[in-house]
Formats: sequence, structure tokens, C-alpha cells
Amino acid sequence: MEIIEKIKTNKLFDNQTEIQKICLQKLQSSPLPNPKSELWRLSNKSKFSNFLNYSVNEKNPKFDIPYPESSQNNIRLIIGENCQIKLIKENYSIQQLSEDELNKYIKEQIACFDQNENWSDLLNLSLSSKQNFLALKINGSKIPPIEIFSHASSNSLNVKTLVILLEKNCDIELLQVNLGKENSSLSQSTFFLLEENSSVNHGVVSYGENRSNLLNSLNVIQQQNSEYNLGSLHFKFNYARFEISIKQSAGNAKTNIKGMQVTKKDEQISTYTKIDFNGPNGFLDQINKSLADDKSHAIFEGSIIVPKIAQKTDASQLSRNLLLSNHAQIDTKPQLEIIADDVKCKHGATISQLNEEELFYMRTRGITLPEASKLQLSSYFQEIISFIPVSKDRWDLLDKLLNEN
Amino acid sequence: MVNENLVKDVVKEPYKYGFVTDIETEKIAKGLNEDIIRLISQKKEEPKYLLDFRLKAFKKWQNMDEPDWAGLGYKQIDYQDIIYYSAPKQKEKISSLDEVDPKLLETFDKLGIPLTEQKKLTNVAVDAVFDSVSIATTFREELAEHGVIFCSISEAVKNHSDLIEKYLGTVVPASDNYFAALNSAVFSDGSFVYIPKGVTCPMDLSSYFRINSGDSGQFERTLIIAEESSSVSYLEGCTAPMFDTNTLHAAVVELIALDDASIKYSTVQNWYAGDEEGVGGIFNFVTKRGKCLGKRSKISWSQVETGSSITWKYPSCLLLGEESIGEFYSVALTNNLQQADTGTKMIHIGPKTKSTIVSKGISAGNSINSYRGLVKMGTKAAGSRNYSQCDSMLIGDQASANTFPYIKSQQPNSEIEHEASTCRISEDQLFYLQSRGIEFEEAVSMMVSGFCRDVFNQLPMEFAAEADKLLALKLEGSVG
Repeated sequence: MEIIEKIKTNKLFDNQTEIQKICLQKLQSSPLPNPKSELWRLSNKSKFSNFLNYSVNEKNPKFDIPYPESSQNNIRLIIGENCQIKLIKENYSIQQLSEDELNKYIKEQIACFDQNENWSDLLNLSLSSKQNFLALKINGSKIPPIEIFSHASSNSLNVKTLVILLEKNCDIELLQVNLGKENSSLSQSTFFLLEENSSVNHGVVSYGENRSNLLNSLNVIQQQNSEYNLGSLHFKFNYARFEISIKQSAGNAKTNIKGMQVTKKDEQISTYTKIDFNGPNGFLDQINKSLADDKSHAIFEGSIIVPKIAQKTDASQLSRNLLLSNHAQIDTKPQLEIIADDVKCKHGATISQLNEEELFYMRTRGITLPEASKLQLSSYFQEIISFIPVSKDRWDLLDKLLNEN
Repeated sequence: MVNENLVKDVVKEPYKYGFVTDIETEKIAKGLNEDIIRLISQKKEEPKYLLDFRLKAFKKWQNMDEPDWAGLGYKQIDYQDIIYYSAPKQKEKISSLDEVDPKLLETFDKLGIPLTEQKKLTNVAVDAVFDSVSIATTFREELAEHGVIFCSISEAVKNHSDLIEKYLGTVVPASDNYFAALNSAVFSDGSFVYIPKGVTCPMDLSSYFRINSGDSGQFERTLIIAEESSSVSYLEGCTAPMFDTNTLHAAVVELIALDDASIKYSTVQNWYAGDEEGVGGIFNFVTKRGKCLGKRSKISWSQVETGSSITWKYPSCLLLGEESIGEFYSVALTNNLQQADTGTKMIHIGPKTKSTIVSKGISAGNSINSYRGLVKMGTKAAGSRNYSQCDSMLIGDQASANTFPYIKSQQPNSEIEHEASTCRISEDQLFYLQSRGIEFEEAVSMMVSGFCRDVFNQLPMEFAAEADKLLALKLEGSVG
């Protein structure tokens, strides 16, 4: 664990930025997450130490994107390659945050960090160099869809940070793609601020290769009357951890989350979500799906916190899981912590395999078993995939899920 | 808008079991060390294997840390400040109830427990445990005719030593957890039930636990063994006087069901809960576990938890036998500053096993009520099913209701379903009932009773009636 040694001895970089200094200081007291902590309990230790076994990649070699060419209607940004952006159009503007603005915002975030819960963010901010930091301020309307890529090259730990401040009354579609090459680690932290009346359709697609690792952390703050829709898909990572923290800072906001993780071989992919309602009239609709095959392990832990102030909250959380092999494993833990009394909160969880009656019905209609299974799986996947804001003809995620591996 | 004060008035009923019986007791010195354990064992004239069991547990306990994962935030317990053995002074051997101290009988009378054998109408055999010692067990002869053994665990150690040696600690091992280890080291008494092959126990068995002194902890141990094709229904009730200190109750209950056997274990727990400021009350840290060893065996837990300042209890089922069944029905009501962290664990090990969980939590005042459960499907549990339902009702905006279900599956050919909801007393329903001339308090209590109906239906009849009344009393003055 080369990285940890370097953090302990503070021999990481020569010219540390202010943020790096603060985060390193915090990490030095406990350079590894507390293994007793609920959030890290199920993490496979050897996989996690694999993640930390590479040295930090600062060079950002050119990466050939395996995905479709950029279309003219989109804005495509690659973290580490083209972080300099200034687009001022008639209806909208997208520009970088100034260093002061960025430092101020990140410092505010760090002040609220919990060492254990935000360990991934602390690591990310300690290691993220200036050229791997994309910080945008967006305002206006009729903004074209934005694609943002983070990629990890082989045999190295790649650290990327994304900050997006969405100003009032702004409305965007954003697709974030995280790609991991063979034997690579990617640490991706995203900080999102949605100001009043803004709305985002956010897609996160993380797609790895053989023995690739990912720590993906997403922090969202929603101000009043904002709407945040998240569709996420994680697959083909040997070890991946997706931590979502959403805070409705003054209530009156809407959050929809549809996430999915697909694990095969001996992969371990986990999703942790924490939704904090800090004001009245909050709304949440969350569904998380997992599919575990072969010897893999899929984990979901979701927590919904409704303090006294969050009256009239309406929150529902559903965890649906398919377990397809005798050697695979699924853990799920939807949690509710409620103090406000005038609320509607519910959660549900199911674990099962493919529906036998449906399979039987299809087979009586002349559909073969593999085809029938595929049909069932595609309907299982489709609910999530259709929620990810990408145009279907260019990104055939369903095809990737059904026909690869 | 519901009148808050009115509702608050509905939950405040003084604790009517809070009296202390002034009775001569034999206590040993405070503190916990090997000598104390040897002394307890010596007082009970125990065989060597039991003393070894205690000492081994004590060694393990010394190396364990008190768990803090539930975040209950209570003041640290000083384990050296507890008396680990306290018994009412009495003649050497009791041959009939006439010899029991009349004050003691009076106590049980006050509690409404039919200890006298004349009260055969109720048809319930009772084992009463007062502080550390079992006082009396009724209906013994009648039970003996059927081959049923129902006695205190100390007697069982003397008379049925082979069974104790074979089964004690097989379901909850001494090193299972901090409080189970403590109990294994110092347990003083409890109940023992043995139902022989093919016997359906002719009456419900019941034990009443009473803590009388403020500085002695209660560490009882219950062991129930149901042989092949037998069945038994066991009821348990608990009360304690009001003290402004916290008293520790760390019990262990072990159930074993062999082929086709069924055990139904019902609890109405009404330990003293402390006053409105949260002063005093019982710390109820209990380990209860049943093992469905045999094929088609069944263990059913039902509980009504209304007392204790802190309850920490997860009655569990290990489903080993093919087609075995585990059930858990629970109502937990907390008020004032009470905390209840309760739930169950259903561990599916054998194939085609089934489990059902129905949990209802009601939190009022400033209390915290949490459901914490685990459902696990092992690799061999093909064709197994689980259904869980946890509902919480919040009364007032200071109470909190939490749900922490863990679900873990390693068997694709199994099904797990879990659902949970949180609500409060519906104003529409209240209004409707009031418009039909039903008093506010009664309407609230009707609605709470309706909310808990699924669980009450599972309780033995006399318990169900008691539980319903108990909830109504407990809720008096707190609905808001």
C-alpha cells in the first residue's frame, strides 16, 4: 500500500495546494478507513488493498475512448485533458470556477466531512492535482447535453475531481462516464450544488475492464425547488464502490434515483446512499437494482434520515436484487431513521432469481430458455437504463450488459 | 389538528408494579471475580462441569468489550457495583406453597400471578423467579404425569444433569456476546422445560420474573427442549419496582426443537421504564435464540415490549432442519426517554426453511424505537422463503423510529421480501371515530390496538387481552 505509506510520511507531492494540505492532514491521523465502521464492513480487504497498490498517475496519457464519437450537439469534456473551458453563448454560459471560488467551496465541504463516511473524498482531494480538477459554473437555459469522462490508465492510481455549481433556474443533462483500463484504480469524487429552481438529469456510467478498481463518490446539495434525477450503472469492475450523499439543504426539493450494479466473475460492487432531508416537503423516490452472478458480491446500503424539521417528507426506497448463482452473494440494507412524525416513509427489499412462471410462459410460446432469460433481464435492466440521460442509438448500454462478458 | 395536550394525557399511567416487597433476602457482596462465581456455584451446589462452564465464560467476558454499535448512549455500567446473587431467605426446601413466605405470595398476588394451585381455572403452570432464585413452580405433578419437566434451572441441574450438560450453551455459546458471556458466568436461576417425544404439553407454561432489590442484577437462564413431535407454549412476564438507579437484566434464553416439534415463546415485558426524566429503569440486555434442529420443527417468538429504560433484544431462529419454520411477532412501545432496539435474526441454513417477521413499533414522547433485523440465506437454504414487515407509528414530533434490516443471500433459489413503512395516527380516522361518539383516548387506543392486531393475534388469549390493556395504559397521555 504505497499510497498509504506516502500519506503517512507526507511525501506525496512537492507543491501541495492548500486543499491537499488540509486533506492530507486529516488523513494522516487515520490513513485507512475504520474497518469496524458499518460503511466499510463489507468491503473485501484484498480488493481494497489492490486499489491502493498503485502509484499516482500524474501524466494523463492520451486515452482512446471506446465509446462513440462526440456528436456536434454535445459538449464533451475529458478530465485531465481539456479542463480549460469557457463557453459564453446567448442563452447560457459554462465556465471554470476561479481558484478562490473553488477553494472556498471545497473548504466548506471539507468542514462538514466525517472522517469515515468521506474517506474516499479525503483521499481524492489529497491526491487530485490541478490538471485533474474540473470545476464548472453553469447558468442559463437550453444548454446542450454535457458528457464528462474520467478514465484510469493501466498500472496506476488515477484521481479525478469534478465540481459543478448549477446556478438558479438552470436545467441540464449531464452524463458522467468513468472508464477503468486493465489493472487500474480510479478515484472519482464529484461535488454538485443545485441552486434554487435548477434541475439536473444526471447519468453515471462506470465501466471497467479486467481487474480495474473504482472509488466513486458523489456529493449533492439541493437547494429549494430543485430537482435532481440520477440514473447510474456500474459494471465490470473488479472492485467498485459508489457512495452517494444527497442533502436537501432546506427541503422542498425532489430527488429521483435509479441505480444498478451488475457483478460477474469474482467482482465486488457496492452502492451506499445517504439521503438527508434538512427541511420540510422533501421528496425521494429511489430504486436500486443489483444482479450478482458467478462468484461475485453485490452490496447496497441506503439510509434515509428525516430529522424533526423535515415534516411532510415523502420518501420511498426499494432495493431489488437478482441472485443468479449458487456462489454469488447479495447484501442489502435499506435503513430509515425518522424523527418527524408527519411523514410518509417506506422501504422495501427483495432478493430472488428470475421469475420461473414468466420463463415457463415464454417457453410455451416457443422462446428458448436463453432467449427468455435475456428478455427478462432486458426488462429488468431497461427500467434503469432508460433513466440514464444518453441517446440510445449512440450508447447501447443494454447491448453491452446483455451481450458482453 | 389533534389537541396535543389531550393526546399527551393519554399516555401517562403510573407504573403500577413499582412497589418493593420488604422481605429478608440473602445477598452476597457486590462485585464480580472468580471467587464470587465459585461462591454462586457453591451456594447452588453445582457439579464441576457447570462451574467450569461459568469460569470459562467469565474468562471470555473479561477479554470482551461492551458493544456500542447500537449507539444507545447509556451511562457506563459499573459491573463491580452489582450484586450477582440475591435470594429471599427461606427454609431449606419447599415442599408446598404453604411454606413460601406469605409476603412473597402477596407480591405475586399483587402482580396478578396465579401462584396458588387452587387457581386451577387459569390452567397455566407458573415458575416464579424472584431476584435470583426460583420461588415456586406450580402444577408440577400434573405435568409430570405427561412426562413434562418444568422446574427451575437449579433443580434441573440437580435432577436432570444429563440434559443440562448436553444442551446448556449449545444455542447461545458462552462467548456469543458480551452480555451472554456475563450471564453464563453468573446466572443464578431460571426455568427449565423438557417436553418428551410425542407429548403436547397439556397446559401453557409460564414464568414470572421479578427484580426486587435495586442493586442486584438479574441474570436468569431459560432452557426449553422439545423432543420429536412435541409441542409447548411458554409465556414469560417481567416486572420490577421503581428505583432511581438502573438495574441490569441480562438473561439468556435457549430453545431447541427437534423433528416436528414446535415451541411458542411469548413475552410481555413490563420492567420499570424509569421516570419521565429517564431516571432509573431496567437495562434489558437479553439474548434469546432458538434452534430448529429437527425437520419440520417450528419456533415462534411473540413479544410485547413496553417496559425497560433500554431494551436490547433480538430473539432469533437458527433454521437448520429441512422445512423448519421461524416466526417473530413483535410490538414494541416506547414512551418518555425509553429506548428500544429490538428485532430478530432469521438464519436460514437448511433447505426449504421459512420465516415470517412482523414487527410493530410505536414511539411516543422523546423515545427511540428501532427495528434491527437480519435475514440470512445460507448456501444450502435452497427453496427457502422469508417475509418481513416492519411498521412504525410515531406519536408526537420528538420521538424517533428507525429501521435497520440487514438482508444477506447466498442462495439464488430462495426468496426474501421485506417491507417497512412509517406513519402517524391518522387524523381522518381519529376524526371519524370521534364523530361517532368515541372518546378521544379510546379512539387512539383503538387505533393503536388495530395497528398491532397482526401481532396480538399471535399471542395466547389471556396475554393478548393483557397486552392490549397494557398498551392502552402505557399510551395514556402521550398521543399528540
